[in-house]
Amino acid sequence: MDEEDGQTGASATLNGETPPFERIVGEYGPLISRIAMSYEADPALREDLVQQIFLAVWQALPTFRADASLKTFIARIAQNRAISFVAKQVRQPPTAEMPELVESDQPTPEQSAIEANERTVLLEATRRLPLPQREVIVLVLEGFDYAEIGEMLNIAPNALALRLSRAKATLKKMLERPA
Amino acid sequence: MTDLDLERLGDVWRRQPDPKELEELRLAAETVRARARRAQVADVTAAIVVAGVMGVMIFYNPQIDTFVLGGAAILILIFSQLRQRKIRQLEMQSLAGNAEEMLEQSIARVQGTLKRARYGLIALWPAMILGVGVAYVADRSGALVEWVAQSRWLGPTFNILAGGAVAATALHLYRSLRSSRAQLRRLIALHDAFKQERESSLSDD
Repeated sequence: MDEEDGQTGASATLNGETPPFERIVGEYGPLISRIAMSYEADPALREDLVQQIFLAVWQALPTFRADASLKTFIARIAQNRAISFVAKQVRQPPTAEMPELVESDQPTPEQSAIEANERTVLLEATRRLPLPQREVIVLVLEGFDYAEIGEMLNIAPNALALRLSRAKATLKKMLERPA
Repeated sequence: MTDLDLERLGDVWRRQPDPKELEELRLAAETVRARARRAQVADVTAAIVVAGVMGVMIFYNPQIDTFVLGGAAILILIFSQLRQRKIRQLEMQSLAGNAEEMLEQSIARVQGTLKRARYGLIALWPAMILGVGVAYVADRSGALVEWVAQSRWLGPTFNILAGGAVAATALHLYRSLRSSRAQLRRLIALHDAFKQERESSLSDD
């Protein structure tokens, strides 16, 4: 497992070629899983989302340019697929964009069992962020640097800093007042 | 800025999943890939079968109407395959872009679906007439119609099945229309949220 080292496409590819799908799943599967978790709390729907992301990555792989970062490419696809997935959910009202109006997800027995876990608390807090802020926070937590995030989201450094500042403030509030 | 330690939270966030979770991920990915490959094979096989049937029809019945109808069917097939490929490419491009652009493309796509569903509800009847035309050309001698007429239950069964198929298609189009409208509303709301965030970032900058 070496996806956490933030390596770029140049080193993440084999002799400048796109790595096989199996290797991508092994290296970036956890990243895909975490992104799916931050957008979907329901385990069944999350599994569906993970499968959709894998399918999108599999379909998009031929368009990947080996001189770019594979991790960035996959994270972008995963984020966009997740946002698109959330948009399709009937139970997800548009008002979910406002954090104070968002109700917490009903904890499953599995979630209850690991409620004390710090990672779960962080995940739940992240899920309650408005989507534009969540997008930035998830990428920061995934270890992307600001230049990469700015490029991925196509926003200027100052605008990114501002959005991140807002996202951090909201996340802090969420962590202080868990659902 | 707040005193939130994102670096430490990042370490917590990226904690490795257990091997069981990794194995489940691997299986999910393998399932998806196998399903996508099967779908590709089915697409190509269906296209070959339809083109082959039309080719045989034209070969054994080289009349101008057979040629026109068969040729039209093959052209529709080619057009739909090319269109599907183009849609997939556009979708992939939008997924690799930023969220606002992706949502804009999703909105355009849902608007297209809405238009097609509306058009489909209207075009259902001419399509039925075209289907009857193809059946007439395929059974020019009337042998099939005669064979159906000889059976007491075959005709009514066929009518029920055909009627059911038309009703099911109309229902599907109607439901697609309704769900597309709801999805469009959600996409627009989401797009507005991203736009607002971007605009407020620019104005505060």
